[in-house]
Amino acid sequence: MNKQESTRVGFMQGLDAVAEKDDRILLVSADSLKAMRADLFAAKYPGRVIEVGIAEQNAAATAAGLAIGGMIPYFATYAGFITMRACEQIRTFIAYPELNVKLVGINGGIAGGEREGVTHQFFEDIGILRTIPNVTILVPADAGQARQAAIAAASIPGPVYIRLGSGRDPVVFEGNTPFNPGKIHILQQKGRDIALFGNGILLPRLLAAAEVLGTRGLGVTVVEVHTVKPLDAEGVALVLNECGAAVAAEDHNIIGGLGSAIMEVAGENAPVPIARIGLRDRFPGSGPPDALLDRYGMGLRDIVDAAVATIGRKGRRA
Amino acid sequence: MIERIQRLTTIATQLRRDVVNAVYAAKDGHPGPCMSAADLVAALYFDILHVNPENPDWMDRDRFILSKGHACPILYAALARRGYFPPAELKSLRTLDSRLQGHPVMKKTPGVDANSGSLGHGLSQGCGLALAARRRGVDSLTFVLTGDGELEEGIVWEAAMSVAKFKLTNIVAIVDNNGMQSGGTVNAVGGLYPLREKWEAFGWYVAELDGHDMGQIITALEKAAIRGRASSEIGVEMPIIPRQPPPGPGQPIVIIAHTIKGKGVPYMEGDNSWHKRVPTDAEYQLAMSLLKGLDLE
Repeated sequence: MNKQESTRVGFMQGLDAVAEKDDRILLVSADSLKAMRADLFAAKYPGRVIEVGIAEQNAAATAAGLAIGGMIPYFATYAGFITMRACEQIRTFIAYPELNVKLVGINGGIAGGEREGVTHQFFEDIGILRTIPNVTILVPADAGQARQAAIAAASIPGPVYIRLGSGRDPVVFEGNTPFNPGKIHILQQKGRDIALFGNGILLPRLLAAAEVLGTRGLGVTVVEVHTVKPLDAEGVALVLNECGAAVAAEDHNIIGGLGSAIMEVAGENAPVPIARIGLRDRFPGSGPPDALLDRYGMGLRDIVDAAVATIGRKGRRA
Repeated sequence: MIERIQRLTTIATQLRRDVVNAVYAAKDGHPGPCMSAADLVAALYFDILHVNPENPDWMDRDRFILSKGHACPILYAALARRGYFPPAELKSLRTLDSRLQGHPVMKKTPGVDANSGSLGHGLSQGCGLALAARRRGVDSLTFVLTGDGELEEGIVWEAAMSVAKFKLTNIVAIVDNNGMQSGGTVNAVGGLYPLREKWEAFGWYVAELDGHDMGQIITALEKAAIRGRASSEIGVEMPIIPRQPPPGPGQPIVIIAHTIKGKGVPYMEGDNSWHKRVPTDAEYQLAMSLLKGLDLE
């Protein structure tokens, strides 16, 4: 579980793989090549890197123009500089006309930003993009999935957002884990006392929590939701109805992200008690990634306690 | 040349008439900013642009981005008269389920090449389009018409830096320099001037002309187009406007067109209340009597 592999490197491997087959694929950079670990790509495809300098709004709108002109640009830089600084460019000039622009945000979550502090910790990206029509949102769990997400995005029509981490990212899945965008991914089904939904860097903690709960005699279903939008609402509702209680965990503000999305499905289709694990609507700070997650409400104990409390609410009127 | 100028001037008047008709029918819209751009838009759609209304999605066509998207009635009028859709449809401007949205939407209106209306974005989109054309090895050109007020948006200068860095000659920027924006004059509201020096400082070749002199307009646009369709690295340069040295190799061109907001309808000219205003019945009749042309049927 301590093995690390960079989601950024994984993504670039995937991009290289699709770029080899499709010469419409370009990388748009806002002086983000170094951060993206894109030096090999830039050396291999010098004509396919569009460097606009530190100007994210221009990068997003230029990517829109490239897409109108028949290209498939991947605009990659820090998650917040894409989703916040260039938010309107995404909304009006990429998402509204459903252009084939891929957006790649690094430093997703507070663990992703880790020692940089709040300016570089992005825990709002999913919530922001979820309110914009036509945007597919992918949250790969590790480098292997980031690689597959880069490849998958090329064949998903229209705008796709891929959330990546710091580059020091834990390996969750050994080997070639299937990555099927649009579908939930059931990681384990060891009973129906509670379902643990989650994605990204928190998945290892969910699996550890399931183990702890198991030792207490509780049967846990663990579900990865790497596609936050369009959400596999049917799959989510099925699990909710089967388990009758859930925890939704993500390295994101508890407002607007996966937890909100799961609760929306529950409220409309499967009303069961749910607890959200995430940053509890406050600003974090610098620190090592695991310590940050522990400090800001995403620790193993937080997940276990939330699960136990939520199981206790089963069958009661909320 | 004289016949060409007369033809385009007549078309510009027709487009202005169409704008008044559309805004009067919609009881909403921005007539003033359309009028200042009318001669430029007429020259582009009826003389310069390589487009095909029969095949609006033709990939290798020239592109036109109306970055000052609030002036879309003039774009819609040009598209209608060019044959993209029936002129009668102009009356549906800004109505429910109309293809003619309050600001341009590329996937809804045949012939509209880019979304616009949130100011400042045309040059960035144009930069992307020009890069794509270069990459695909086609000689299609991108023309971006911006307002002058919208040059207050920072993204315009991000894009100006990029276009110059990429040495794009297959894009031509045109500033509709009518000197006014929603809240007053561009200098009082945003401190825009000096303008020529700003573009030059960003590495652009600046051609200034009278945006209502059709001869000057087509001369400059045609030269810029010929240059843009040639390979950008050839380095054979010619003056874009008289008595000025040619642009340097790879240097992008911006045309600063000095215009009058409301041009062509005397009571609108220079009266900034026509930035967004609907003519009364009497004002409508007066405009119709001044702007001779066809109706929207």
